[in-house]
Amino acid sequence: MIRSVAILLIGVAWSQVLLSADPPAPSAKEPLDPEHAAKMARGLDLFKKHVRPVLVQRCLRCHGGEVTESEFDITDRPHLLKGGLAGPAIVPGNSQASLLFHVVNHSKKPRMPHKEDKLPQEAIQHIAQWIDLGAPFDKPLVEREEAVAWTKRVVPPEARHHWSLQPLQNVQPPPGVAGHPWVRNPIDQFILDRLQQAGLEPNPVADRRRLIRRAYFGLLGLPPRPEEVEAFVADPAPDAYEKLLDRLLASQHYGERWARHWLDVARFAESHGFEHDYDRPTAYHYRDFVIQALNDDLPYDVFVRWQIAGDELAPDNNLALMATGFLAAGVHSTQITKNEVEKHRYDELDDMLATTGSAMLGLTLGCARCHDHKYDPIPQRDYYQMLSAFTTTVRSEVDLDLDPEGYRQAKAAFDAEHAPYQAAVDAFIRDQLPKRLAAWEASSASTAYREGRVWVVIEPTDLKSQGGAKLTFQPDGSIVAEGNNPSFDIYTVTAKSELPSIRGIRLEALADGKLPKGGPGRAGNGNFALSDFRLQVLGATGENATGQESEGRSVPLIRPRASFEQKGLPVAQIVDNDARSAWAVDPQFGKNHQAAVECAEPLTDAIGKTLRFALHFNNNAGHNLGRFRLAVTAAENLDLKADNIPADVRRILLTAADQRSDTDRQKLLAWYAERDPELQRLRQTAAEHLKKAPKPKIVKAMISTEGLPAVRLHTQGEDFFPETYFLRRGDPAQKEGVAPLGFLQVLTRTDKPEERWPVKPPPGSRTSFRRKALADWLTDVECGAGHLLARVIVNRLWQHHLGRGIVATANDFGTRGEPPTHPELLDWLAAELIRHGWKLKPMHKLIMSSATYMQSTAFDPAKAAKDPDNRLLWRRPMRRLEGEIIRDAMLALSGEMDTRMFGPGTLDPSSKRRSIYFTVKRSQLMPMMVVFDAPEALVSIGERPTTTIAPQALLMMNNPQVRTYARGFARRLLGDENEPWSEIVRRGYRYALGRVPEAEEQAASIAFVQRQLESYLAEGKADARQLAVADFCQVLFCMNEFVYVD
Amino acid sequence: MPDRIPAFFAPPSPAYPSRREFLRRAGNGFGMIALAGLLQQQGLLASSSYRNPLAPRPGHFPAKAKAVIWLFMNGGPSQVDTWDYKPELAKVDGKDLPGFDKHTGFFADQVGPLMKSPFKFQRHGQSGAWVSELFPHMARHVDKMAFIYSCWTDSNNHSPALFKINTGMSRMGFPCLGSWVTYGLGTESQNLPAFVVMYDTLGRGIPKGHSQNWGAGFLPSIYQGTALKPQGQPIEDLIRPAEMSPGQQRAQLDLLNQLNRRHAEQNPAEADLTARIESFELAYRMQMAAPEALDVDREPQLVQRLYGLDNPKCAHFARQCLIARRLVERGVRFVQIYSGGMENQLSWDGHIDIQGNHRGFAQETDQPIAALLEDLETRGLLDSTLVIWGGEFGRLPVSQKGEKPGRDHNPHAFTVWLAGGGVKGGVQHGATDEIGFKAAVDRVSVHDLHATILHLLGLDHKRLTYRYNGRDFRLTDVHGNVVTSILA
Repeated sequence: MIRSVAILLIGVAWSQVLLSADPPAPSAKEPLDPEHAAKMARGLDLFKKHVRPVLVQRCLRCHGGEVTESEFDITDRPHLLKGGLAGPAIVPGNSQASLLFHVVNHSKKPRMPHKEDKLPQEAIQHIAQWIDLGAPFDKPLVEREEAVAWTKRVVPPEARHHWSLQPLQNVQPPPGVAGHPWVRNPIDQFILDRLQQAGLEPNPVADRRRLIRRAYFGLLGLPPRPEEVEAFVADPAPDAYEKLLDRLLASQHYGERWARHWLDVARFAESHGFEHDYDRPTAYHYRDFVIQALNDDLPYDVFVRWQIAGDELAPDNNLALMATGFLAAGVHSTQITKNEVEKHRYDELDDMLATTGSAMLGLTLGCARCHDHKYDPIPQRDYYQMLSAFTTTVRSEVDLDLDPEGYRQAKAAFDAEHAPYQAAVDAFIRDQLPKRLAAWEASSASTAYREGRVWVVIEPTDLKSQGGAKLTFQPDGSIVAEGNNPSFDIYTVTAKSELPSIRGIRLEALADGKLPKGGPGRAGNGNFALSDFRLQVLGATGENATGQESEGRSVPLIRPRASFEQKGLPVAQIVDNDARSAWAVDPQFGKNHQAAVECAEPLTDAIGKTLRFALHFNNNAGHNLGRFRLAVTAAENLDLKADNIPADVRRILLTAADQRSDTDRQKLLAWYAERDPELQRLRQTAAEHLKKAPKPKIVKAMISTEGLPAVRLHTQGEDFFPETYFLRRGDPAQKEGVAPLGFLQVLTRTDKPEERWPVKPPPGSRTSFRRKALADWLTDVECGAGHLLARVIVNRLWQHHLGRGIVATANDFGTRGEPPTHPELLDWLAAELIRHGWKLKPMHKLIMSSATYMQSTAFDPAKAAKDPDNRLLWRRPMRRLEGEIIRDAMLALSGEMDTRMFGPGTLDPSSKRRSIYFTVKRSQLMPMMVVFDAPEALVSIGERPTTTIAPQALLMMNNPQVRTYARGFARRLLGDENEPWSEIVRRGYRYALGRVPEAEEQAASIAFVQRQLESYLAEGKADARQLAVADFCQVLFCMNEFVYVD
Repeated sequence: MPDRIPAFFAPPSPAYPSRREFLRRAGNGFGMIALAGLLQQQGLLASSSYRNPLAPRPGHFPAKAKAVIWLFMNGGPSQVDTWDYKPELAKVDGKDLPGFDKHTGFFADQVGPLMKSPFKFQRHGQSGAWVSELFPHMARHVDKMAFIYSCWTDSNNHSPALFKINTGMSRMGFPCLGSWVTYGLGTESQNLPAFVVMYDTLGRGIPKGHSQNWGAGFLPSIYQGTALKPQGQPIEDLIRPAEMSPGQQRAQLDLLNQLNRRHAEQNPAEADLTARIESFELAYRMQMAAPEALDVDREPQLVQRLYGLDNPKCAHFARQCLIARRLVERGVRFVQIYSGGMENQLSWDGHIDIQGNHRGFAQETDQPIAALLEDLETRGLLDSTLVIWGGEFGRLPVSQKGEKPGRDHNPHAFTVWLAGGGVKGGVQHGATDEIGFKAAVDRVSVHDLHATILHLLGLDHKRLTYRYNGRDFRLTDVHGNVVTSILA
């Protein structure tokens, strides 16, 4: 029943805060106590002498010092007055009404200080008196300067003593072992020296079969083909191995294999994570950048610089832009509430900085977010100063032309290919068309055109818009309305009548890209609403152009029809007696429409007279036509889709051929050209070919940059805040001033860092160039972090080649990480990298050419007794392949690997592309990868664990894809029907394991395939032979020798 | 000889091949437990240095609870409509809550006035605990439950709050409670996953934040939860290829065994090779053991009816509760069941129509949960099984405006109950303010809750550590106090 008592006790405070409309706070209208000043003075004295020390010593730690329990902060008077979750803590002038008094007096719960001795009675009395005197403060309990001291903290010189923070030592390989026959390059001198000191000898170099397999899987992640194995084994050249390494390093598959190592470190994924895990369909460009950069052997310092600030350093370089996907690859909450947006933003900045720290520098910078790093000399100050480099950086999408040069070349080639098509058209027009026109004119097909029984497009002599739109006649006979678009309008179109008889009128409402939604109307949705359509016949001279309707004769129009009618707005309404009702075409916008009306009586007396067409738009505001064409016909039966002829062309047609001017001839020919079926066919063929023209490869890519719109999801509030602040305890509610850009003090060897790295952005720049400064510091080998950067990456190379880094904790070079087993070798390798212009391929070759790398895996209990963990590398450790590479190897053996590089990935497990091209969706990681320890892509991962678990075995036994690969492999192995099993088994071993089976293996395998075949035959399976061999192939996939490369 | 075979989700780690490495990572505190477990195995594994990180091992101190079943009411059930009776709220029904920050919940523009619970409350059991009419079945078991009325969390949004209550951190990527527990104690069953998660089988979605809620974070992935897929095979690749008979697959494994053993003999120092050989044998057996454990049709009709398998309203959740009991019975360490799916209204996230929403989900869960408690008790498993009921946060005492009023998210207060292994039944700990808005008395943070759960399992939350990126991480970060009043 503790509960109900407690409720009762706090009930008073609660009802005051929450439920009363009028909080009983001291009213401003109350008269000021005449003794106010005197009381304040006494109160202040009491506070300074007795109250402050008690509050500071006994209360502050939990209430505003290190933490703020129950949201109750006592650091200054306003906070004290506001109180915490239990309501206001003091009522100035009335200690008996003050919760603070009661909780320290233990007359109310919770009794304070919590779980500690009660305050001395004297102190409680002092507090009561002080409250009665108005509870004045002379200054807050925590001095501001003291509170912000950490934002200025300078690390002491001894902080730099940790080995990884020191400059590279100038080391030489131990000379004593230089002549030892095992030594192949300086690496081996370092290794052998240590081994000998420990009384150990390394293993000899492994045989060539093992070496080629090791190198293939190590550099390409694929098995060597049998003929490659045999060629290498048989190669008598002394540099056969070096040639092999050069060949592999030049392979495009190298980038695909090694990119995966870096993508683990970069926590790369293609979805946002959190609630909905929305896709980032344009994030794959970062993966492509890593592959391409590795294959191009982009110097590692540039590789790093571009990932931090490629958009600032090389804004015109696609790869540099794609590289910034590094910063964008972290998770991003997709449903951020207003109260949380700032906290999320700091989380996001932390992700960028923490990943940069782990990936580039092997330092756990994220640990300094809430307090100075507990183990490494990284003050919280440095954290926030580095964090500010990313202040305005957001995820954006940009258009990239991935291959402008390729497009230019492809276009030129296509143009050459297309030329004959155009030439055929031109030749036809030149040589054939005039003859064909003459023949057409002589034929009966032309009669209808002469007699006006097709649609004769009128040629206006005058165009008017009552509402002030600008109407213009176009070369194609259409009329376009521009400029003012009044709510309601009347267009009048005046023309001479040229037909002896007019039976019908056609109005075409024409689509036009310049109109809203492609027209034909000028309304916002592309619609129009024609309320009335009228025709008058004026006198022969067309006098009275001022347009008094009474002056002319109205022609009754009947039987309207249209190609399309909007529901409720049929074409019938253009000739009804309702001035408002209309014809419209919603939703068929962006298309041509036709309407036609008949004259109640054929106009047989109008020739030479003036026709005045009137289009009334009186139905819906702004629903005027944007483009239209009018035509008349003498035909008895109106055909909406019948062909047309412009009035002027008809006049030429009616002129005898020998009377026509050159211009007229050309005009007629051009009109006819559109109707000649043979020419149309030629043109069609050319147009079809033109559709195949190459297009520039414009793709959207997700990058990190500043000053472009951020990729937004359901965020409420800002994408970023203009400043990064020092946050006490990492809490956005406890800001301690703006954090200026800065870097790790322990990796800064200049007195004036602010002069060496930060730069002003160039005029007009949309980015702040703060990331450029960070990139410069990271790669600065003289005064910045360059030496550590080099150590960390050579260690990663070593780790993947030798199974374990010289520093085993590849992402942690701090004091809590593992110390290097061979510190001199690490420094020597780092210096070599810098000497080689930061190129990684020479470093691969250097490491792989060492006897250390090439030695066998042979185990020796005597050596193991001296160095059980093989830290000194007396043997090469046997290593299991990663999930991606196990799959790639099976896929390669299936013979069905699709080797296309780059581009969007897929989540389809049946994809035949290499595993690097699987989309990394955080909520839908590929089971085959996850089960083999692929990381979750949330934080930087420097070393994958290698687990052996039953689900892996289940996958190898039962997974449909594994089975598909086994079937594919079986199809490759199966030769002709009569081939003996021994050949098939032999071939399987050579493909999968790079060797021939030993006698016992051969015998067991043959017996197995034979038994399986009989069993499948007994079941009546049609493909029994293939099934039996597939079973054998699957066993090869499952073999330890297949997944453990020695 | 269960330790000779690799665990279902268990690995050696050649990246850290030695026991020394493992112990270094495990840190000083946990090192002692790990060492005990590993030494125990060493006798059995004299010929091989292979170690099984999921081998069962004792905790830091003796404890009753051996297994956990966490009934997760996804979406945030309303405390004031379920267990936390607030008569004062009824008195102020319809009034505004002065000074209320409209950004407390998710929909700042839909804040309504204070709203009393639409449900009637009654006292139950010897302890006299108040229970809303939503839970007539569970109400019979209140004397088994210890209620914590004063839980609070950080975030007013689902996925951060889900991450918080599952992992102790509101950001993605940290190991969840189930992972820490299996890391600390291993598992009693080597034929089944150590940590099993079940979510909605009615197609209403997976909890927000997806599998991160049962992820292992930086712990080895063997400690992550295995989510049973709601459709098709519950576990990946459990079924043999259709074109093969059991005999044909057996023959395959026999050949594989023969070839792999030759290879292992040539490489006697590589313990992993032997482990991998054995993993195929285990996998072959798993193909039978897992379907058996998940097959509730093997239970007597009486038991099926007790859980409500014959009741279409709750059959889906009943099946999961019954599976949970079968798994715990077979030595699975940690089971988590999510009630409800992803989106609003498809879970306990009653933004619109709190009454209809909560009534529906109560009907889905009340009978199965009561049956689970009864069944565990009958079988003598309740003493060793810790049952937890709760969501990721609570709901506001003010309404969310709408045709049928709902309640928005409330990070300041929610109710959790625990029952079974080591819990003192009938206890009521802490209190919210008189309208149930904020936890006010004996406030219990998520870290406190985690510390308490670990304590009930015999684990000291300050000593259960894992070193990652240079730091010894804990489930409770640098916080956490055990709620001692609920301990038996």
